[in-house]
Amino acid sequence: MIRRGEVARRLRGIGRADILVGIPSFNNARTIGHVVRAVQAGLAKHFPECKAVLINSDGGSRDGTPEEVERAAADDLQRLLVRHRVGPFHKLSMPYDGIPGKGSALRAIFEIADTLEARACAVVDADLRSITPEWLELLLGPVLEGEADFVAPQYRRHKFDGTITNSIIYPLTRALYGKRLRQPIGGDFGFSGRLARHYLGKDVWSSDIARYGVDIWMTSEALANGFRTVQAFLGAKIHDAKDPGADLSAMMVQVVGSAFGLMSEYHDVWKGIQGSQSVPQFGFPYTVGLESVNVNVERMLAIFREGIRGLGTIWQAVLGRGDLETLAALATERADEFRFPAGLWARIIYDYALACHRKSLPREHLLMSLVPLYLGKTASFILEATDMDPERAEAEIERLCLEFEAAKPYLVGNWR
Amino acid sequence: MNEFLQLLWEPIEDLYLKFREFAPNILAMLLIILAGFLLARLFRALLRRFLKAVKFDAWSDRMGLTAVMRKADLWRRPSEAVAALVFWLLLIGMTVAGLSALRFRVFDDLAARFILYLPRIFSALIILVFGFVIAAFIGRAVLLAAVNSGTRYARLLAEAVRLLLTVLVLAMALEQLQLAPGIVIAAFSILFGGIVLALAIAFGAGGIDAARKVIEKEGAAGAGPQKDIEHL
Repeated sequence: MIRRGEVARRLRGIGRADILVGIPSFNNARTIGHVVRAVQAGLAKHFPECKAVLINSDGGSRDGTPEEVERAAADDLQRLLVRHRVGPFHKLSMPYDGIPGKGSALRAIFEIADTLEARACAVVDADLRSITPEWLELLLGPVLEGEADFVAPQYRRHKFDGTITNSIIYPLTRALYGKRLRQPIGGDFGFSGRLARHYLGKDVWSSDIARYGVDIWMTSEALANGFRTVQAFLGAKIHDAKDPGADLSAMMVQVVGSAFGLMSEYHDVWKGIQGSQSVPQFGFPYTVGLESVNVNVERMLAIFREGIRGLGTIWQAVLGRGDLETLAALATERADEFRFPAGLWARIIYDYALACHRKSLPREHLLMSLVPLYLGKTASFILEATDMDPERAEAEIERLCLEFEAAKPYLVGNWR
Repeated sequence: MNEFLQLLWEPIEDLYLKFREFAPNILAMLLIILAGFLLARLFRALLRRFLKAVKFDAWSDRMGLTAVMRKADLWRRPSEAVAALVFWLLLIGMTVAGLSALRFRVFDDLAARFILYLPRIFSALIILVFGFVIAAFIGRAVLLAAVNSGTRYARLLAEAVRLLLTVLVLAMALEQLQLAPGIVIAAFSILFGGIVLALAIAFGAGGIDAARKVIEKEGAAGAGPQKDIEHL
């Protein structure tokens, strides 16, 4: 499907490769040059004898992203490297087919990984400003050394960043599959050729997995199918400002909806798992300075309160009368005293997973109705963590994860 | 005397003969109506069971049909309501068929008109059911989008959209039934146009400040990038 014209000819010319690095992109001309140079330098520095291919899978950028990829070259490698590169390096930029989205871009990368019989693959986002050559060593090294099939990232992030990850995806994935993968939807992953073929064998490309849902899908597939999983500390994650059109409701539907959908598929895997275990970690953790983050707690609370006024019927159908009354009481609290109990939040997420499984409402509507609750929870966390140092804020997230693990019997018992 | 008695007897005999001739028709009518009643009851019971088996009530709850029925002050379960509707349609149909067994021209005409009218009733019913389901779906989508975007009075907005769509659906159903179509179209045009005009004036006059704020906010946002909270 993707082997068209020039790309197909070049792939035939390459034959096989040891390493494939994929960069999905859409209008990232401003940053992709830096990412390509970092990848090229990382491959030259850490895997000089490997045959490597860099693929830019582009969603039809109009800002010259593919041209930027072609232009980008790490000219000053001599200064960077102790050893000179031996293995050949190839670079391709190509458009992908299918539903516009990161998932479709990655599908094209999986297809090429399969064609080239790559041993180790990595995907990194095109909007990264903090990527360094060491990221390649950390994402690809454990796979090439046969220690892992899937390498998830671990970053230093501002305590208010990644709130869907911190309040839903991380606690849920950890409670379900029993592995403490801190950034299940980090976006920058390493994986083996075997796992790439597994991904390619799945027919999911007309769903939300073709969009934002691909990250949680990759992680869940690796965990649920017993692929060896590790995480690598990559340092700070700093990237270009997101597309302002990226809508929170769409993210919620695609990411959380994909996670809930996978729960139905892998019920037999997660129902018997209790507690959680840490996974092997690569990389040396260190502290970094982070950009400050703008938060508007009043707006979040206003949406939560509007949800209480407008979505009571839906919430009662999903959560039951008792929890709805607790939420209504919460909504009357003053902003500085507003606290969302962790146990209630865990139960809410499980109730939504159950409602999604039972198809109580059209899926998109159901997940959209979670947004005001999520904003209420996020506002509560921000109010609590304002004066906390990063370690203390992380301890709060750990406490939430333990609530999810403790409430798991409720989920298992009600799953029909 | 005999002639006089004959004079009296003849009309009675005529009446008896006519009755004897007509009695099978009455009997046929009564039998058809009775059979229709029994058939309608049987069909209602079977339909109830079928709808229960396919969880029609749960589907109606999800699609908003139950909520629409409650708003129309109909408190039966949707499956009961559908079964009752089919029961009455069958009973009316069989009664009209029974009456036509009397071989009166007026009843024949009535039966013919009823049969010709049936497709209109069915299409009006389909318009009502699907129309209400779609109105409920769109109303809920508007409510969720409005709440999530921080719009105040989101519920009011969603109810207004649902009301407009319900009016549209009712007008379409009435038009399909050909019940005073001229009045229906005129009333619908006046009502719908009035609501839209009222909303336009309300938002236009009341929303000047809000619009100014939106434009100012857009301008400010375009002035330079800001690092906002990242959800993923």
